[in-house]
Amino acid sequence: MDLFTNLALGLATAVEPINLLYCLIGVVIGTAIGVLPGIGPIPTVALLLPFTFGLEATSAFIMLAGIFYGAQYGGSTTAILVNVPGETSAVITCLDGHKMAQNGRAGPALAIAAISSFYAGTIATVVICLLSVPLSVLALKFTAVEYFSLLVLGLLAAVILAHGSVMKALAMVLLGLLLGLIGIDVSSGAARMTFGVAELGDGIDFVPVAMGMFGLGEIMANLERPPVRQVVSQKVRDLIPSLADLRAAFPAMTRGTLIGSILGVLPGGGAALPPFTAYAVEKKVSKNKAMFGHGAIEGVAAPEAANNAGAQTSFIPLLTLGIPANALMALMIGALMMHGIQPGPQIMTEQPQLVWGVIASMWVGNLMLLVINLPLVGIWVSMLKIPYRLLFPAIALLCCIGTYGIANSVFNIWLMLGCAVIGYFFIKVGAEPAPLLLGLVLGPQLEENFRRAMMLSDGDFTVFVQRPISATLLGVAALLILVLLSPTVFRKRKEALAE
Amino acid sequence: MLRSFCLLAMAALAGATLQPSPAEAQQSFSRAVRIVVPYAPGGTSDILARLIAPKLQEEIGQAVVVENKPGGSGNIGADAVAKAAKDGHSLLLLDVGTLALAPSLFPDLTFDPQKDLAPVGMVMFAPYVLAVNPSVPAKTTGELVSYAKANPGKLAVANSGIGGMNHVTPVRIAKGLGIEWKNVPYRGGAAASRAVVSGESQVIFNGVTATMPFVKNKQLVGLAVSGPARLKAAPDLPTFAEAKLPAGDAGTWQGLMVTAGSPPELVARLDTALRKILAMPDIATKIEDLGGTVKADGPAAFRTWFAENVKMLGEVVRENGIKGE
Repeated sequence: MDLFTNLALGLATAVEPINLLYCLIGVVIGTAIGVLPGIGPIPTVALLLPFTFGLEATSAFIMLAGIFYGAQYGGSTTAILVNVPGETSAVITCLDGHKMAQNGRAGPALAIAAISSFYAGTIATVVICLLSVPLSVLALKFTAVEYFSLLVLGLLAAVILAHGSVMKALAMVLLGLLLGLIGIDVSSGAARMTFGVAELGDGIDFVPVAMGMFGLGEIMANLERPPVRQVVSQKVRDLIPSLADLRAAFPAMTRGTLIGSILGVLPGGGAALPPFTAYAVEKKVSKNKAMFGHGAIEGVAAPEAANNAGAQTSFIPLLTLGIPANALMALMIGALMMHGIQPGPQIMTEQPQLVWGVIASMWVGNLMLLVINLPLVGIWVSMLKIPYRLLFPAIALLCCIGTYGIANSVFNIWLMLGCAVIGYFFIKVGAEPAPLLLGLVLGPQLEENFRRAMMLSDGDFTVFVQRPISATLLGVAALLILVLLSPTVFRKRKEALAE
Repeated sequence: MLRSFCLLAMAALAGATLQPSPAEAQQSFSRAVRIVVPYAPGGTSDILARLIAPKLQEEIGQAVVVENKPGGSGNIGADAVAKAAKDGHSLLLLDVGTLALAPSLFPDLTFDPQKDLAPVGMVMFAPYVLAVNPSVPAKTTGELVSYAKANPGKLAVANSGIGGMNHVTPVRIAKGLGIEWKNVPYRGGAAASRAVVSGESQVIFNGVTATMPFVKNKQLVGLAVSGPARLKAAPDLPTFAEAKLPAGDAGTWQGLMVTAGSPPELVARLDTALRKILAMPDIATKIEDLGGTVKADGPAAFRTWFAENVKMLGEVVRENGIKGE
């Protein structure tokens, strides 16, 4: 059996002491930068790239991959503890994770995040082994038409995941879409709403907006309240999730893994779609819907699993087609080229040791992450005892450093601080920033793919229903709208009949 | 590993905080020199800068730090070097073809690439491969041209962004041969390349490393290669000139620049150092891995090339109404 020989080769490569060491270095650095808000894996990998020249390609790649998925682990820690999403993927974890922390359940939240990530990482490794080739074929079937329909579905999910007023959620999505339009339009080259500011040419970066609106906005709101806080219990019993927690979280992480594995393969969807979609699905199927947004453990398990599974399956297009699914994968291609390896469709047959070694190392790395992270839970939780007067300035400072580091740009710091004020305003009026962020990330892609589809079809709208994948996606979206509207429709009809 | 990472981070921080002052401008390099790469990490310019930096450090005896300053089609980073102290300590490594296009694409450009920046030397030329999706009934450039003539507006040429070199190249070719095809912009070269492999678009002009693996795997059909000579890796592909295609000089040109008005002695030292580095066999191999060839032209040849291209590309942009505002 080909698969087993490949896996055996991969495992043999991954457990070589030197590769184990680099895997460990990778995941430790990854966890560290994930915990620090704003310092993402992309600049870290870029900085470390020159140091990998002296290493063997496989070891180098194992380490760089470790940084990437290690950061996904670490990112959830800051999201849960202080409501600062350092990465797109952690935005959703903020929603219920931070609520759990406020309810004094930071320990179980962190532990579930780690366990979900490990679980998803394990399954995703198997998915990569078994389904790399068919999934990469699927990825190539996604043209502008299919992307448009997928993004429509994704944005609908944004409305579902908001709790409270649907109108407010819609307004926030639209605001996000508008913000996403800022910058040079890909399809025409025209600058929109940039007011001649060169920094706005590439659009508004996600990280400053997310950190400003979530983290700093929340801090400002917190300053208004008297500094009374939930006493954080240090008893081990309160640090680990109960059996009931695990039972509630398990189906959620399975669904999250499935969603993440599929969406991660599609280039362009990026880090945003898997956790957002997983959360939306969970909110619909969960038995205790009322808990969502108030500290539901499923609301942590599902997006964390989806996020990790997606991070791993995003290697599939790179390893099978030589096509990067996101900016970090593009950087990985650069790394491969520096080691004299031609990325491309032939990489799996020409470099089996590298490809399977990296795949197997992902599972090994995930195991390491679990072992590193679970004992750390207690330490992270005790960080909540740091008084606000020390914690808040520290977070604000770290946010500024991280934001500056994205593009060595002072402009981004001002953008973040501006967003903090706006985020504070949103908290005051009771509007949630999550749909806005999804609009900001997906809006430009929605427009770009729609215009490209129109350009290629010479303005024929029927392409969206002619192609089977697109038609199916749009069908699901239509169904979703019907389900959303139906209770209101029925109630209206009843009221009308009663009169 | 971690220690060297910290060291590098400190060096980067030091480079960013040291305020250059013109009074310091002397005959030698007095402190860390930075190479600004005006794009995100991982691209060709970034890899070149990171290859050259340690060697340049040995040559000039000062720390050389690579600084990514992405945004605005490379204009934000270029502007930073254009407005830096004129002391030769701020270098810029970038795609100079894109820079030559900037004045005609962006009427309100905040600097003049010919007046505010000065050439140190060309570094690399990477030719384009013309490739098509196998669904296109053309096995040669001639067949592609007659197919495009018979079906005006049917073929879609993927490019990596409006006003980029591989957008201007098919525009020049269409104009020269009197054919009509759609130019479909994508967000970056990888997305464009994926679109042609999947068949969403049909034609692409892209670098050798990004294209040849797909040609070898029969997912794309290679038709021709730009530049003065055939590729060692694919000797059966004719050059644009042999295939009677215009725009034979198309491709990616990477060059090193410095703030204009920097001390001539320092620029001369940088020029000498760069030529020496580019003559090193390991650098030549790495540049070939990146799909290009070493182009060690000094400042004078660079300046002529740049002026000619600003003029020629400006005409293409004006005649075809390309906007990159």
